[in-house]
Amino acid sequence: MNFLRKIDRVVQRELRIWARRPIYILGSLFVMTFCTVFYLSFLKEGVPSDVPIAVVDLDRSSTSRNFCQQLDATQLGKVILYEDFSSARADLQGGKVTSVCLIPEGFDRDIQSQRQPTFSFYINGLYFLGGSLAWKDILTMVNLTSGAVQREVLRMKGVPESRIMGELRPVDIDIHQIGNPTMNYGAYLANMMIPGMLQMVVIIILIYSLGAELKYGTGRHLLHSVGGDIYAAVSGKLALYTVLFTAIGWSIEVILYKWMHFPLAGSLGQMLLACFLLVLASEAVAVFIVGCVPICRFALSIGALYSVLGLSLTGFTLPVETMPSALHGFSLIYPLRHYYDLYVQVGIFGSGFGAWYPQVVMLLLFCFLPFFVMKRLAHAYEYLDYERN
Amino acid sequence: MLDIFNRELKQILHDGGVMIIFIVAGFLYPILYNYVYKNGILEDTPVAVVDRACCSDSRRMIREMDATRELNIAYRCTDLEEAKALFQERKVNGIILFPEDFGEKLAYRETATFSIYADMSSFLYYKNLLMGSEFVMLHEINQIKIERLAFDGLTDQQADVSVHAVRYEDINPYNRAFSYSIFLISAILLLIVQQVMFYGMSMSVGTMREENRSFASLPDTLQGRGVGRVVLGRGAVYWLIFMIIGIYVACIVPALFRFPQRGDFWDILLLLAIFVTDCVFFSMTWSTLVTRRESAFVLFLFMSPICVFLTGFSWPTTAFPAFWRWFSYLFPSTFGCQSFINLNTAGADLEIAAPQLRALCIQSVVYFVLACVAVYVENFALRNKDKINKLQLIS
Repeated sequence: MNFLRKIDRVVQRELRIWARRPIYILGSLFVMTFCTVFYLSFLKEGVPSDVPIAVVDLDRSSTSRNFCQQLDATQLGKVILYEDFSSARADLQGGKVTSVCLIPEGFDRDIQSQRQPTFSFYINGLYFLGGSLAWKDILTMVNLTSGAVQREVLRMKGVPESRIMGELRPVDIDIHQIGNPTMNYGAYLANMMIPGMLQMVVIIILIYSLGAELKYGTGRHLLHSVGGDIYAAVSGKLALYTVLFTAIGWSIEVILYKWMHFPLAGSLGQMLLACFLLVLASEAVAVFIVGCVPICRFALSIGALYSVLGLSLTGFTLPVETMPSALHGFSLIYPLRHYYDLYVQVGIFGSGFGAWYPQVVMLLLFCFLPFFVMKRLAHAYEYLDYERN
Repeated sequence: MLDIFNRELKQILHDGGVMIIFIVAGFLYPILYNYVYKNGILEDTPVAVVDRACCSDSRRMIREMDATRELNIAYRCTDLEEAKALFQERKVNGIILFPEDFGEKLAYRETATFSIYADMSSFLYYKNLLMGSEFVMLHEINQIKIERLAFDGLTDQQADVSVHAVRYEDINPYNRAFSYSIFLISAILLLIVQQVMFYGMSMSVGTMREENRSFASLPDTLQGRGVGRVVLGRGAVYWLIFMIIGIYVACIVPALFRFPQRGDFWDILLLLAIFVTDCVFFSMTWSTLVTRRESAFVLFLFMSPICVFLTGFSWPTTAFPAFWRWFSYLFPSTFGCQSFINLNTAGADLEIAAPQLRALCIQSVVYFVLACVAVYVENFALRNKDKINKLQLIS
């Protein structure tokens, strides 16, 4: 029996298992569809708008009312007026509003008489995005208010209109966001969360598929159907799952970059390659885990622990350099980390192969992992001498 | 009921896999996450500077930027191409460019603009570049204005009044430095409790199913009655175990990592009591769907990160699409994590946390009823197995 015939047999057998137990298709196709729909629809706004900002206006002057209206008119903020500070603070503590602005009594009068009133604002930094965006929004408004006062003074002094801007704002910043010009938070998260979920699903499903043979004692049947050739048995399973997961992964890439039009400086083909390598490397990790711990339940628990932590250790939210130095190396044991590095080169900088070949090499290196455990796995399948449950 | 309690406790204690999940995941995970996010503040983001202006102003600003906590001027490049290369090699996460006419424009009293290029691969790089350069810019603006006014013959006092027409103070009482860890850890601690319980209970239920027993079988002495007693008896076991884990996760772990604990201990305990009750009935209801020992992992592991987002700790709840807002009400973690953030980290009192606690109570009642229904249906199916089988044979 040649190798291809053997693989064909395993594939046929696996397809029969799929037909009998829907968990494989449910766990891969359904889960990934759900995740894709979730991350894309949940964050579809890109940047949150109408974040509640509390304003306690003790002044009730035209200046303070104008400030409220201006703040309310920004895309980000929605002003909620409060009568007193304590109820506003309670809502800040309860997370109902992201920030509280306190306009003191006599605010307008003090500005006019040059007594420099103090405007205070409180931010709830526990709700990160809302809090930091509100901080930026309010700070801009305060500076504008201050600027408006100065502009009036300059006009009264007779400074020509063409020179006012130079006086008001001697220095300015011109910000370029490389790789995400609209600061789309949805694109930023979905770009990595969905492939992160793919890594998780590949690892869990494949561990389950290989582990179920141990658990239900069918490993020997699998081995014997291919004449005891463990390489054919595992390759057959991998072949089928590679097709399935690559199809899922490529659909995701097409959805992200062609349908949602998320920013991508490089070409889609490069991302498809990255996705294919991510699938391969994750599969290798799954085989390695089952091979090391040939007990279905344990292997699954380890796989779950590994892949959930992977979302953090990849460092696309909190960069790896911020983590304790002992963990820096750990991020390298995740295929997702290399996928992320590759994405940064392709998606953000649009670099060529010369810049991202190290990531390709790293992902390919993962594929050698199964070879270390093949013998052990064959032994486990043949003799089933490990605890089953 | 005591009988059911004992039986369930024995079942859990004898099941190595479930114990491992409870102990390893329940006790290890909070520590792991705290360790990963131990220093949650990104400092000294390396940037490259291209100073084409080469004037005293640009040099001073570069020094000031280097002095901020956010930025570190790692390279000084002669042209943009060199900086770009460093950017692509990821040796720097941003570029700051001062154009040739920067000094001239300042001298002519026009707006002098400098550019920053931020690597958006992590929003924290962008935040640091923005904050670091904005602080320096605001400081410079004020300095330059005061200098000019002094030149025009104003006294320091007059100049200050004219530049700072309005003074402001920004206060960020609960997370002063926008630390990533304080915000993330507050949100996920209670979620760990919920997920560990759900996976553990599902595993236990799955095992019973595999061994052809049912979690729902009623003791014969009850003669088919006492659905509520089965739910409460089994639930009490989990409740006790998870109150211990919960106190560890919500009170001891934060203390170990010197994490802010501004809440009152008894308030947190009350929250835990309600939250754990809710989680017990939640897990009981949903674990009914699990038929095999491992399938909970295969089918539901992906829900953990989704639940994190549904707590509204990062993407604000006010911006949730309506469907996902309703969907988030299915999980105890949505309310539990929010009230933990408010009670523990923001130091709120029970009155402020009341809406979430009320929601948790309502959820508990609903899930208790659903858990009872699940047991009843399962029992009915079990007792009438023969009849059902017969029916199937006939049809």
